[in-house]
Amino acid sequence: MLPCPRPERNSKNTKRFVVTNLFIIGFVYSSVGLAAKAASTRHEDKDVLVRLVARTPEQLAAFYIGRGFKQAAIAKIQETCFITVIIKNKNIDVLWLELDNWLFTHNGQPIKRIDRNYWKQTWQEVNLPTNHQSTFGWTLLPEARDLRRDESVGGNVVIPRQTTSFDITMRFKTGADKSASLKTISFENVQCENGK
Amino acid sequence: MRKLITCMLVVLSIQLHAAEDIPKGLITLDGRQAPPLVLNDLDGESWDISKAKGRWLFVHFWASWCGPCRKEMPTIQAIYNQFDKSELEIVIINTAESEDTVFSFLASIQMDLNPLLDRDGLVTEQWQPRGLPSTFFVDPDGKLRYLALGGRPWDSPAYLAFLKRLAGN
Repeated sequence: MLPCPRPERNSKNTKRFVVTNLFIIGFVYSSVGLAAKAASTRHEDKDVLVRLVARTPEQLAAFYIGRGFKQAAIAKIQETCFITVIIKNKNIDVLWLELDNWLFTHNGQPIKRIDRNYWKQTWQEVNLPTNHQSTFGWTLLPEARDLRRDESVGGNVVIPRQTTSFDITMRFKTGADKSASLKTISFENVQCENGK
Repeated sequence: MRKLITCMLVVLSIQLHAAEDIPKGLITLDGRQAPPLVLNDLDGESWDISKAKGRWLFVHFWASWCGPCRKEMPTIQAIYNQFDKSELEIVIINTAESEDTVFSFLASIQMDLNPLLDRDGLVTEQWQPRGLPSTFFVDPDGKLRYLALGGRPWDSPAYLAFLKRLAGN
């Protein structure tokens, strides 16, 4: 049975619904295919679960083109390396996600993370519409967040595109006033997905 | 008179208990005034939070690209018609997507909700949800009382019981 659109909408909307749905179905299937190629890394202990997925340029283009982003914005996004991070606080009263406390390094040398200020400036340069800036912002991992017990958060962290592997050290303060023990999780030999 | 006072105390006690007995994944907020919210729905009808005093509001932010939002939405559909709008009104707000995207997404999952459209995402920014999806509970005086952390199974017994308590059922 076809999905039932809201009854008061007219035939123009029904036609629009069919066309856009076909597009979405195609996009979802293509995204699933791309997702299967992404590198995934995982850490889990009794307190925290962290999963990393490096995104290919093709995945990024598919996602943001699917949301109507202009080519100039896609090009800027594809110049960089997106790592999707999913964090679940399983067992700590408060786990503090603060990206400024994370280290990205290659052979001990720091790699500067690309933060929201860079994107704000970049989107102004390419005149990205406000709604797309908003959507983009929601796909990034929050810069800072208190994660309650059982709470999850997910989003992208971005660094300049790397041709060699790098390490990520995630340092989380804990406790309501950040004074409890420091939780450190390290990932070694993480790689950007360069696609094709 | 004594019976009346006893009865009032019992009612007050039940209300206090109900307010504190919140299901997993909801946190209590500080009761600050809810930010402004004036948006149009898919039919172009305006909705203004300042005209919604006197009832609890379930204010839900979502986007079709967000996986947990897609998972949660059917549970909102399941509870949508269970509450009288004069007691608990369910308000769903799409963040920064086009009318076409919203319409086709809701139809594709066979939903009959009429969301408000935050076309540029600025209203969502003002509300500062912790992420998408996010659900705020606004009390009849327009104050923020609870926040759901991420997506929740709203049609499951614990959440439904909580919503019914808010609605006074």
